Amino acid sequence: MGIKVDFRKRFYKDNGKKKGKEPSFTVDVNFEAGNELVVLFGQSGSGKTTTLRCIAGLEKPNGGKIKVNEKVYFDCHKRIELPPQQRSLGYVFQNYALFPHMDVKKNITYGLNGWKEDEKEKRLKEMLQLLHIEGLEDHYPAQLSGGQKQRVALARALAPKPDILLLDEPFSALDIIVRMKLREKIKQIQKDLNIPVLFITHNHVEAFTLADKVVVYHEGRVQQVGTPEEVFYNPKNRHVAELVGVNNIFDNAEIVDCGNSDNTVIRSGNMNIIARRTHHKNGEKVAWGVRPENLYLLAPHKKADENTVNIFKGTVTTVVNKGTSKVVAVELDIDKKTILVEISNRIFEEMELQPRSECLVKIEPDDLLIFV
Amino acid sequence: MKYNMLDQVWFPLYITLKISLVSSLIVAILGTVISYLLARREFMGKWLIDSLVTLPMILPPTVTGYMLVVLLGKRGIIGQTLFNLTGISILFTWQVAVIAAFVVSLPLMVKTTTSAIEAVDRELEYVAYTLGKSELETALFITLPLAKKGILAGIILSFARAVGEFGATLMVAGNIPGRTNTMAISIYSAFQGGNSELANTLVIILVLISLLSMAITTKLVNRWKL
Repeated sequence: MGIKVDFRKRFYKDNGKKKGKEPSFTVDVNFEAGNELVVLFGQSGSGKTTTLRCIAGLEKPNGGKIKVNEKVYFDCHKRIELPPQQRSLGYVFQNYALFPHMDVKKNITYGLNGWKEDEKEKRLKEMLQLLHIEGLEDHYPAQLSGGQKQRVALARALAPKPDILLLDEPFSALDIIVRMKLREKIKQIQKDLNIPVLFITHNHVEAFTLADKVVVYHEGRVQQVGTPEEVFYNPKNRHVAELVGVNNIFDNAEIVDCGNSDNTVIRSGNMNIIARRTHHKNGEKVAWGVRPENLYLLAPHKKADENTVNIFKGTVTTVVNKGTSKVVAVELDIDKKTILVEISNRIFEEMELQPRSECLVKIEPDDLLIFV
Repeated sequence: MKYNMLDQVWFPLYITLKISLVSSLIVAILGTVISYLLARREFMGKWLIDSLVTLPMILPPTVTGYMLVVLLGKRGIIGQTLFNLTGISILFTWQVAVIAAFVVSLPLMVKTTTSAIEAVDRELEYVAYTLGKSELETALFITLPLAKKGILAGIILSFARAVGEFGATLMVAGNIPGRTNTMAISIYSAFQGGNSELANTLVIILVLISLLSMAITTKLVNRWKL
C-alpha cells in the first residue's frame, strides 16, 4: 500500500519543441511512502507542483513509473498512462478552484458519478459534518470565506472516496488561526481514511508540524526524504539546511581531527571549531552550519571555564526585531565572519546590546551541523 | 406612398432576419467548437485554422465575396461538385447569402469566444477531470457555462454583422427582388434609385432592430451574475 513515485519530466523553453535541444528544466523525482502524510517541501519552482500534476495525470512525464496502492498510474516502458479520470484521486488547489456557478451542494457532489440520489444526499451530509460546514449547502462560492472555501474544496475532493489525496499549498492564502485548525483537520482525516496524503508547502513550520514524512525538493530534485526530525535536525546538504532554517552556513571548511575522542575538529578559515563525532574523514572538505536559535550570546567579560569550547569574540553589527525575539548579527573577530544569533527579548534587554557592543558567541558542539 | 410596403419593406426585413438568424445559429455552434479547440488544444495546423477564420475580418467583403464566387460558382470546386450531384446552382439564393454572412461574422464569434474560454481557470477543468468527468462533460458543464457571457457577446456581434452584411452578399447573392434583396442591399438600391422615402423607412427599421437586439443583450448579461 502507499505510493511509489519515480519519474522524469523535462521542460523546454519553446513549448515542447525539443528536437536537438537541451531541456531548460528537469524534474527528476524518486520517493516512496506508505499511507501517511507526506509533505513535499521546497521553494517555488522546485518541482513540487509538477510532481502532483504528474501523479494526477494532468501532465505526462518523459519517463519512469508512478504507482498508487498497487495500481499503476503511469509506466513508460509498459506504455501505461491512465487518464486523470481513472486514477481515483482527490486534488485540492491553492486557490480552491470551486466551481463558481454551482452551490456548495453541487460542488461537493460533482464527483459522485453514477451514485444514486439518496446515496449522494447521504454522502453530502457526511462530508458537511466531517468538515464542519453544515448549513452552507445552498451558498455559492462567492459567499464563502477563504477557510470555508477550502473546507468545501476538501469535501469535494474526499466525497468520491479517493485512493490518494493531493494538496497543492492548500492553506497558504488563509490566516494563521484558520490554517492551524485545518492542519489538525488534515492530520485527523489522513489517520481516519488511512490513505496517502501528499501536501505541498514552502512553509517550514507547516512541514514540521504536519508531516509523517518530508520530501525535500531543490531545483527539480529530491534532496532528502525522512521524518521531520531527521530532515530538520540532520539536513543532508546545504540546500536542505537552508530550507529548514539553518541560516548560518559556512563553506570551505576541512575536517582536521576526527580521531580519538568523541569530538571532531573542523578548520574553517582561521577558526577551529569542535563538533560531535561524524562519519567524515580527516582532510575532507565540508560545510558547516548552525541555527540562529541554537546559538548563545554571552557578555564579553564572562570567564570561560575549562570545559567550554567554541566561544568566539565579536561585535554586534545589526539587530532585527522579530517581535517575539531578536535576531542579532555579530561579526566575529576571526576572519570577519558574520553570524546570526536569535535570542529572547528578555536576554536582549539584560545584555543591553546595541550595534557596536562587544560580545561572545557560543556554539554547542551538539548543535553544529556538518554536510558536504 | 412611393413604394410597395409588402415587397419593398417587409420582404427585405424578413429575408435579412432569416439569413442573419440561420447564419448566427451556425456561427454559434461551429464558432464555439472552433474557439474551444483554439483555446484548449494543441494540434498541427492550428495556426492555419486561426488565420483562415480571421482572414475575412481583415479582407474587404468584396474580396471575400469574390473568393466565395470562385469556390461556389458553377466552375468552382465546391459549386461544380454540388451542381453535378444535385443539379442545383447555389449562387443567387438566400442560402448562399447565409454562407456569406457566416464567413464574415465567424471571426467576430471566434475572437470573442476564444478569449472568453481562455479566461476560464484551467484548474477548474483539472478538478473536473480528477473527479472523473470527461473532457466533453467538462467543456459542456464547466468551461462553456463559465464563458457564457463571452459566447453570448460573440453571437450578438455576429448577428449584428450578418444583419449589416453588404459587400460579400451582393457578390454571391446579387439583388434579386423577392429572393435576395436584403435590407442593406435594398437601402443601397433605393438610394441609388433616388427613392429616399423607401431608404428612410428601411434605415429606421434597421436602426430599431439593432437597438432592440443590443437592449435585449444588455438585459440578459446583467441578469447573469457569472
